Amino acid sequence: MKKARKKTVAANGGSLWPLRFTLNGKKVSAKVQPTQTLLDFLRIEMGLTGTKGACLEGECGSCYVLVDGRPMNSCLMLAPQAQDRTVTTIEGFAHNKKLDVIQQKFVECGAVQCGYCTPGLIVAAKALLTENPHPTREEFLVGMEGNICRCTGYNKILRACELAADEMGLKKK
Amino acid sequence: MSQPIDNLEEAVARLHVASKSSSAYESGPRKVVGKSAERLDAVEKATGETKYGQDLFDKKFLFAKVLRAAHPHAEILRIDTREAKKLPGVVAVITHSDVTGTNMHGLIRRDQEVLCSRKVRYLGDALAVVVAKTEEIAIEALGRIKVDYKPLPNILTMEDALKPDAPKIHTEGNVLGEKHLRRGDAPAAMREADVVVEDIIQTQTVDHAFLDLEAGRARYDGKMLTIEVAGQWLHEERRLIALAIGLPLEQLRLIQPATGGAFGGREDISIQIYLSLAALKLKGKTICLRYSRSESMVARHKRHPMRVHYKLGAKKDGTLVAAQVTFYVDKGAYASTGIAAMRKASSHATGPYKVPNVWADVIGVFTNNNPCGAMRGFGAVQTAIAYEGLMDRLAVKLGMDKAELRMKNLIHSGDAVTTGQIVPNATGVECFEAVLKKIDWKNRSYETAAPHLKRGYGVSVICFGLGYGDGFPDASRARCKLTADGMVEVYSSGIDVGQGLINMIAQIVAEEVGVPLERVRPILADTQLTPESGSTSATRQTYFTGSAVQLAASELKKQLQDIAAAHLEELVYEIKIDNGEAYNVFRPERRLTLRELAREGKRRGFSLEAMGVYKPPTVPEDTATGQSMRAFVTYLFGSHACQVLVDTETGEVKVERYIACHDVGKAINPDQVIGQIQGGVTQGIGMVLMEEVVMKDGKIMNPGFTDYILPTIRDVPEIECIVLENPDPGGPFGARGVGEPPLIACGPAVMSAIQDAIGKPIRILPATPERVWRTISEK
Repeated sequence: MKKARKKTVAANGGSLWPLRFTLNGKKVSAKVQPTQTLLDFLRIEMGLTGTKGACLEGECGSCYVLVDGRPMNSCLMLAPQAQDRTVTTIEGFAHNKKLDVIQQKFVECGAVQCGYCTPGLIVAAKALLTENPHPTREEFLVGMEGNICRCTGYNKILRACELAADEMGLKKK
Repeated sequence: MSQPIDNLEEAVARLHVASKSSSAYESGPRKVVGKSAERLDAVEKATGETKYGQDLFDKKFLFAKVLRAAHPHAEILRIDTREAKKLPGVVAVITHSDVTGTNMHGLIRRDQEVLCSRKVRYLGDALAVVVAKTEEIAIEALGRIKVDYKPLPNILTMEDALKPDAPKIHTEGNVLGEKHLRRGDAPAAMREADVVVEDIIQTQTVDHAFLDLEAGRARYDGKMLTIEVAGQWLHEERRLIALAIGLPLEQLRLIQPATGGAFGGREDISIQIYLSLAALKLKGKTICLRYSRSESMVARHKRHPMRVHYKLGAKKDGTLVAAQVTFYVDKGAYASTGIAAMRKASSHATGPYKVPNVWADVIGVFTNNNPCGAMRGFGAVQTAIAYEGLMDRLAVKLGMDKAELRMKNLIHSGDAVTTGQIVPNATGVECFEAVLKKIDWKNRSYETAAPHLKRGYGVSVICFGLGYGDGFPDASRARCKLTADGMVEVYSSGIDVGQGLINMIAQIVAEEVGVPLERVRPILADTQLTPESGSTSATRQTYFTGSAVQLAASELKKQLQDIAAAHLEELVYEIKIDNGEAYNVFRPERRLTLRELAREGKRRGFSLEAMGVYKPPTVPEDTATGQSMRAFVTYLFGSHACQVLVDTETGEVKVERYIACHDVGKAINPDQVIGQIQGGVTQGIGMVLMEEVVMKDGKIMNPGFTDYILPTIRDVPEIECIVLENPDPGGPFGARGVGEPPLIACGPAVMSAIQDAIGKPIRILPATPERVWRTISEK
């Protein structure tokens, strides 16, 4: 149930909004500037710097986070829009130092070069494979075309995603 | 005449290699070099733990912003910062009058003011740095700085810049410089040629578009000014900052954070210098600065747009006889590394082809556009598009198969390239044969699903001189050290921008010393800790730093062998170090671990440290003729073949199949070599099909990824890689390098395929759907 939002006054004279949401499995409540992007909020206020800003206009997917399981450009989302949602950042993928299958395949396949696009790509792949565990090649391309990588030429990224799908499929069986 | 001396150079290079290997009993298969070990930093990158420049920020730090020019070309009459300083939260506003050093920078020629005092020459010129408690306040303060300008006529084209009465952008005029190459008598040979083709090819302005925007922090504690910003040559940046801000070199420390791509885009100095000014002014405070994407694109240098007038003459049988080439290079507002890129153009004017008579002239012209400087391929990309484009036109005119024409004219080992330098190991033919075989050139099919879809096949062959060349001092240094905990540390200022330098270095050390890869700890790019390794550019890090690392590792190993020999009371030349243990090859049961070697070494007074320096010489090109017996330390060869499908109704080009072959000497890490090839090809596809910085009145019209179009996963086919390994006598384990050639060879191959599909050449890059469609429609 949504509660009416109380406003408080920020140090710079603007108002702060209360924000409650689930972040990487934990309930979080915070006060946010309503104009702050989710990207800046996560990076600056929450210290989760794994999510990267690169184009800052929703074109490159570096800032992808999962919002209720869907990949969202956190550079285009305002922090208050995360109210009552479940947000997962790259920091929420590995558990007890054990990498997620997709992370593992990125590492094994050499899909990581400079690494700046990597968190966003892993988030995109996760969203795709959660919704569709057996994507065709075309479905992979649709799922990943929102991410720009300037280093790898995408071949190894595609390979990593396809291998991750195979492995996740095996685990389910 | 130059041959004996050239052979001497090769002999010296061979001696270098001989001196690198460290033991009489080291033989057998390589254990680490040549293996596709996982990137040492991949896990932390995949989990988001890695800290890039912007990840070093904290709310409690101060934030800086830079005021840019409001006109592309204007005199500065007055800068009034009073209103900005009054804004609550503003801590400092810095202008040229606060700069205590020379206030000048520039990689080859110091022609750019850090903070402009009298004149602005492009819209990215900086006038002031604001430091405030928050970034928002700093941005607001920028708007309160009043600058009075006297606008000057904007010079936006090379034609305008070269007019006799054109206003001068720099006091010495609008020509940065010229490069000339004279080999034989090209005009005379051209007159006698049976067939002559001629064309003008115009390449575009290209942005590096690395994802990790310029960002970092700096702090001055009164003794040391520490700057954490990603660059490509920390020691040179330190020199530039020291001069510009007037602080002794010893008081500057540059540390490279993790780096999200560079591609030449971090070669010119950027935010380091503004941060250093702010930190110097505000002692004890940590200052942060980051660019937005648009500021990054507006401020940063670009790939040179070049207009290439190319005339190529041949005999009836296709044998090339003459080439006459003029390159007009738009330098933009400042020199940057332009003169070196221009030289790369002249020295690669005919690429891997044997042309007895070549005249090439390059002229660099200042305009009020963005300065142009280093970008992957550095002058050779534009040149390859030109010479390969002309080979295609020649093949059409001769009615000859374009592969056959190329094969006929490729240089072989012992032949000279354009500069007159003999190439002892020319493998262009081998590369070309490999791609032709793979694509099944003879049986290529032009069948398509519909008449409006046209298929085309393209090929390219390139050669590329590695390193700076031209007699410019080119050296790498590295240090190896055995620690008490039995780790082999390797120190180098080579920079991992994503290409995989960290593994290249670590794998060479592991192989050379004889330890498992996990016993090697690379420590990179911190001017306080790591020796200078030159720039991370020019495809030089594997060859130069790899060699320095191998030399250092070899020296360290010799120490460890001495220690083991003394402790085990064995002959030193019978001591083998393998898998991190030292033993006598004939009595392997008594062994010393690395930890024991460290302990024994220390007890016996060994330093347990060694330095490696690699500085192979080159010979300056003659200024009148461009000839040099050793313009570059070595040449790289590569060849690409591709298949495209052109929709003649929309002009869209789809790359259906791509094959790339490169002779890398030795792949230290094959997987990473393939990564470099695939990434380079993708940037090549981007350059020829979509990328263009659109300039209007000196302003970038597409300063963001919404309108600056980059290749996505959809634009790139499977890139089939063939890696050849003909060892180079001067490189570590025979390795050369691979950074730039894949991008250089890609552009001409795709352009060649488009011409094949539509029957006409595209003269202006990029080959956007509109341009392809218009070319098809032209009568």
